[in-house]
Amino acid sequence: MPERLNYWGIPHTWGKPELYVYTIMFLAAAIMLFRFYRQASPWWRIGRSEPRWDKLHLRVWRVIQYAIIQTRVLRQRYPGLMHVAIAWSFFVFFLGTALATVHDHFFEFLYGNTLVIYKFTLDVFTIIFIIGAGMAIYRRYAQKPERLTLEPGFTWTLSLIVIIVLGGLGTESLRLAVERPDWGAWSPAGWLLAQLWISTGASETTLTNWHLGIWIFHLLTVAVTLITLPTGTLLHTLTGPLNAFFSKLDRPMGALAPAAETAEGKPIFVSKLSDLTWKQLLDGDACTECGRCQDACPAFGAGTPLSPKKLILSLRDALHHNGGQPNLVGEAIPEEVLWSCTTCGACIQECPVLIEHIDTIVDLRRTMVIEGMIDAELQDALTNLGRYGNSFGQSERMRARWSKEIEPKVKDAGKEAVEYLWFVGDYASYSPTLTEITQRTAEVFQKIGLDFGIMYKGENHAGNDVRRVGEEGLFEMLVEKNVKAMSRCDYQSIVTTDPHTYNTLKNEYPPNGEQPVLHYSELLDQLIASGKLKLSNKLGYKVTYHDPCYLGRYNGVYDAPRRVIEATGCEIVEMPRNRDCALCCGAGGGRIWMEEGEVNERPSESRIREAVQLKGVTDFIVACPKDITMYRDAVKTTGEENNLVIKDLIELVYEAL
Amino acid sequence: MAKIVAIVKMVPDLVEELEINEAGTGLDRDWLRLIINEFDNHAIEQAILLKERDAGEVTVIAPDAEGVEDMLFTTAAKGADRMIKLAGDLEEGANNHALARAFAEAAKPYQPDLILTGVQANDDLDGPVGPLVAEYLGMPYVGYISGVTIEGNKAIVRKEYPGGLIGEMEVTLPAVLGIQAGEEPPRYVAISKVRQMMKTAEIDEQEISELNPNGGVIAKRMYLPEAAKRAEMIEGDEEEIAAKLVAIFKKAGAL
Repeated sequence: MPERLNYWGIPHTWGKPELYVYTIMFLAAAIMLFRFYRQASPWWRIGRSEPRWDKLHLRVWRVIQYAIIQTRVLRQRYPGLMHVAIAWSFFVFFLGTALATVHDHFFEFLYGNTLVIYKFTLDVFTIIFIIGAGMAIYRRYAQKPERLTLEPGFTWTLSLIVIIVLGGLGTESLRLAVERPDWGAWSPAGWLLAQLWISTGASETTLTNWHLGIWIFHLLTVAVTLITLPTGTLLHTLTGPLNAFFSKLDRPMGALAPAAETAEGKPIFVSKLSDLTWKQLLDGDACTECGRCQDACPAFGAGTPLSPKKLILSLRDALHHNGGQPNLVGEAIPEEVLWSCTTCGACIQECPVLIEHIDTIVDLRRTMVIEGMIDAELQDALTNLGRYGNSFGQSERMRARWSKEIEPKVKDAGKEAVEYLWFVGDYASYSPTLTEITQRTAEVFQKIGLDFGIMYKGENHAGNDVRRVGEEGLFEMLVEKNVKAMSRCDYQSIVTTDPHTYNTLKNEYPPNGEQPVLHYSELLDQLIASGKLKLSNKLGYKVTYHDPCYLGRYNGVYDAPRRVIEATGCEIVEMPRNRDCALCCGAGGGRIWMEEGEVNERPSESRIREAVQLKGVTDFIVACPKDITMYRDAVKTTGEENNLVIKDLIELVYEAL
Repeated sequence: MAKIVAIVKMVPDLVEELEINEAGTGLDRDWLRLIINEFDNHAIEQAILLKERDAGEVTVIAPDAEGVEDMLFTTAAKGADRMIKLAGDLEEGANNHALARAFAEAAKPYQPDLILTGVQANDDLDGPVGPLVAEYLGMPYVGYISGVTIEGNKAIVRKEYPGGLIGEMEVTLPAVLGIQAGEEPPRYVAISKVRQMMKTAEIDEQEISELNPNGGVIAKRMYLPEAAKRAEMIEGDEEEIAAKLVAIFKKAGAL
């Protein structure tokens, strides 16, 4: 019967080998924990407190999902498979070692078929590990993608883990070469290697001595790995799961928290590390430097100085920098870096360890706003928003001027009851390029017999991007004005064409009871499904669809607009970056109000170039007023005007009616 | 420590269309929306910059008007130390002579070293406020200023001349300066700061003893620009255009 031999090949004169093993391991673990404590204690010694202990079951689930199963890591095929091949193998090795300890000291169960299955599993994962490590070596030294930090620390770590696994494989194979049990082939990797040792014709004693040497080396490598873990690449094996465990649960992605307050009720404007929460500092230490955020970041892609990865690493550097806390704004992180963010959420979406980049960026922007460190264009926009409730600096009496030509007159929701309160938004109301589309929207609503109204001059900018620029006070003021205006209206649902407005109304405004907030794509989709909206023309265009960040990534609305497009008889050809991987147009987070700065290629231009690659696609469909502005510019600047037509979803519907 | 007074006023905001009152002699004030005079806003910025640079005390004086309190709280958030609202029978839009007298009277008790005000405003029917205040207080006045440095009892000022020329001159204090542009554009103040000021800062309301408009102008008729005869576009090549121009000049008797 297959039996497990403890400490095979260790000379009897050594007495109790487990004593050495446990002593070394205990010491290594103690040193590791001590060093980890030193690395981690600044989080709570410097950072502000913030409760993140609620909903434990959800937190544990996040650890399982993101740290053990690693769903985020698996979003990308090559690096995903590479990483899980290594990580899952180590999970199995740990489990194997733990089971062996249980077997040795508490409960003997590793014999017979159980032992064979045990051995087989460990061996299979050894092979999986070797494949994963091979992929990692190829990636670091041959592929060298730009997003990675190519520093020697990684070579050290990869060498250590490869040596650990090869050491384990070596001892196993040497033992098999000496013992040659009849179930040996169930350890396929070890058995294969054992054949090599056997073929050398070395004596049993030589093989046993080699075994002893490698066994000791294996043990010491594990100890060294443990000791160096808290200051190297492997730190993420502790901080990653911790970051997933402590990730935010109190609000949806689309809701920012107001600035934290001191005990005296004064808002905290983040200027030093001690103004950040311990979790924001943990973010820095949790970063695995994988660079997925940087790859996905539209600002980085455009050539602005922002890399979300570097930004988070700047926090880490500041935290572990000796001698005084640097100023975060301007010193640790340049102002342009913070202003470059479009708050598109791609970094958050990609981060395997759930780092919350945008919360920190907005915290720092709040500091810049309160200090008046803003560019002239943004200042004008904010001043206008404060004074007139719109960024265009026009009178609120002009807000509904687009509706003058609409017959019958659009209802004033402040004066008569309507089913749908249409929150038009700034761009759709004031931008001359959008007047026609806004009028089309009203006409479609009228044609399908929708009972709707607008608030005319009672509407103010909804504030989504005002908040993301960091002007919290102005955001609050706009919310107050809008809530007041809306409370005077009698309606069942709110509908808007603007995803930014949609996001803030849905996630950040005070809950408005039973009245849902709908994006027009959702409303049209519902009306098509219920048969209320019948589209008679089949347009037959080949189109592509651009997911707005605040509709898709922030609120998960991907299918409604696609169903509406399909209902118009168009065929959708997806761009490579679609749905939650969609590239931002570059306008969000208040970027549309700021000076552009130096860019190599605007995100909107990159997007147009992506779309024109699609064979036979004639139309680029958007579902966000700002997208019309951004992409109608971008087709001109890229010279693709004749190859691609930028259309709003409503234009398709209008055509198909 | 310099004592600086900024005198500012609210003027019609041109985002709204202006309407003429029934009498046809002035703006219809029911429809007016008011905004701080842009040049006055620069004067405030210059005052705050001087305070930040050399220490000092900034007092802002403004006649009562719709929105004036918000404006004053905003200046407080920028760093002004004292805000004064002048109340009186301002309904009919007191002219600049009356306002200047009121400003002078209000500023006097503070013994200002420097009075800053916008060099002009869009409703200056009877000349800008600055020189009038200087006259009533017996102080020197320099206008079109885009930079001020205080040195002892003198100020070095940068004055802008047409054609991009800039002159530097010395003025003995106390003096009144008409600000064309602050050394920095007016700063942005976060709304939360303004709201904080609304809770903590106080506006000192002072009654104007007498509104005396003497010396000002009386508008007989105010009207929107009347569409004149439409311009005639002269078309053709150079020769033709020249020929047509000559004909037009001859017809007009200019040649």
